[in-house]
Amino acid sequence: MELVSEQDALVPGKAIWLGIRFDLEDGWHTYWINPGDSGEAPRIAWRLPAGFEAGEIQWPYPERLAAPPFADYGYQHQALLIAPIRPPAQLKEGQSAKIAALVDYLICQNVCIPGREQLELSLPVKNRAMSSAARDLFNTTRSRLPRPAPRDWKVSVISLGDEFLLDLKGQQLAKAPQFFPLQAELIENAAPQQTTPLPGGIRLHLKKSTHLLQPIARLRGIIVLGPEKAYLLDVPVSQKLGRVRRART
Amino acid sequence: MKRNFWWVLVIAPLLTPWARAVKVGESAPDFQAIDSNGLQQKLSQYRGKFVVLEWHNNGCPYTRKHYESGNMQQLQKEWTGKGVVWFTVISSAPGQQGYVTAERENDYLKQMKASPTAALLDPQGEVGRLYSAKTTPHMFVINPAGVLIYDGAIDDKATTDQADIASARNYVSQVLQEATAGKPVSTATTRPYGCSVKYAHK
Repeated sequence: MELVSEQDALVPGKAIWLGIRFDLEDGWHTYWINPGDSGEAPRIAWRLPAGFEAGEIQWPYPERLAAPPFADYGYQHQALLIAPIRPPAQLKEGQSAKIAALVDYLICQNVCIPGREQLELSLPVKNRAMSSAARDLFNTTRSRLPRPAPRDWKVSVISLGDEFLLDLKGQQLAKAPQFFPLQAELIENAAPQQTTPLPGGIRLHLKKSTHLLQPIARLRGIIVLGPEKAYLLDVPVSQKLGRVRRART
Repeated sequence: MKRNFWWVLVIAPLLTPWARAVKVGESAPDFQAIDSNGLQQKLSQYRGKFVVLEWHNNGCPYTRKHYESGNMQQLQKEWTGKGVVWFTVISSAPGQQGYVTAERENDYLKQMKASPTAALLDPQGEVGRLYSAKTTPHMFVINPAGVLIYDGAIDDKATTDQADIASARNYVSQVLQEATAGKPVSTATTRPYGCSVKYAHK
């Protein structure tokens, strides 16, 4: 585990990207922002010099880690959680600054091990910065960040019985996308997400969590169409009464 | 048409292993299990009392948080003292973390000064799967009418840090306080947090 920077120096007033890198042995995983049925997402507390500001952690899309009848959402092998850090404009060139991140995390294989580590990184302050050796890793990570949904998409969600029906219409939709909810306890994480064709699109069937006792106003999550194709969804949910169409008796 | 519809009702639960058998507001399914003293325990024999189910794995850091701090034992003592039945349920399969023999479990209970009504040994994971127990701990509360009134976490601080217990809102105590006072349960489901239950691989 290591704190890495995309650039080799700090430039006063200019944001740079830092990342917490997890290198996990085969069989081990850590967790996404919504960890799924078990586990816990890493928590990162920045310890920054005066005047520095940290932005939000950007979470790459996760893998579904199936353990029937349950499933978790997380990362195997290598994961980088990146965030922008902005040093103050008054920072003096020629100095160096120490940035630290206190990371609480859980890694699991079959058993789970919690950890807390303070990761530190010192960077010189210069008037211009070059790419660091970690640059490629940042680019790879960015390609795995969810992007805003394409403008030509039409997305809607219907709550019907024990399912959310997520309708996607637009170009180049995959046949079997995967939806990852940002909030826990919205859907049954291990349930297969079946798709049915719609004119100009697809309908994804998401089984509601039995823990969901109240209707929800919006469904937020990411949809992954394939490698490096993840999109953010934040869609109002329309409630349909009834369960299945029944013959009148 | 009508016949097809009934077929779906019969077959669907068999084909959907993720389908949860239990739901808050519905009857808690009955089960039988042998406890660490060799006694047969049956949920339905405790009709008329509140029953707490606590999923347990003595090696899981989240379980250890609540035992090494004494938090779980304190809850067991308080609520069994008020007539609540408390079952600690161990669904770890043989060879998996948290699996114990009856003797080892009795030693553990003594060492930890734990006082559940009984510790149920569920190495086949039958009770765990019946309740879709996901994590250790995962807590369930059943009311005297046999209805499930809570399914979720022990408290609202999903960490392994004992220092978080003091400031946490304990959902089990909250549910029992409300329900024993005849009030509606304000928080009936939460995300259970912890290690996954170490079921036998199928």
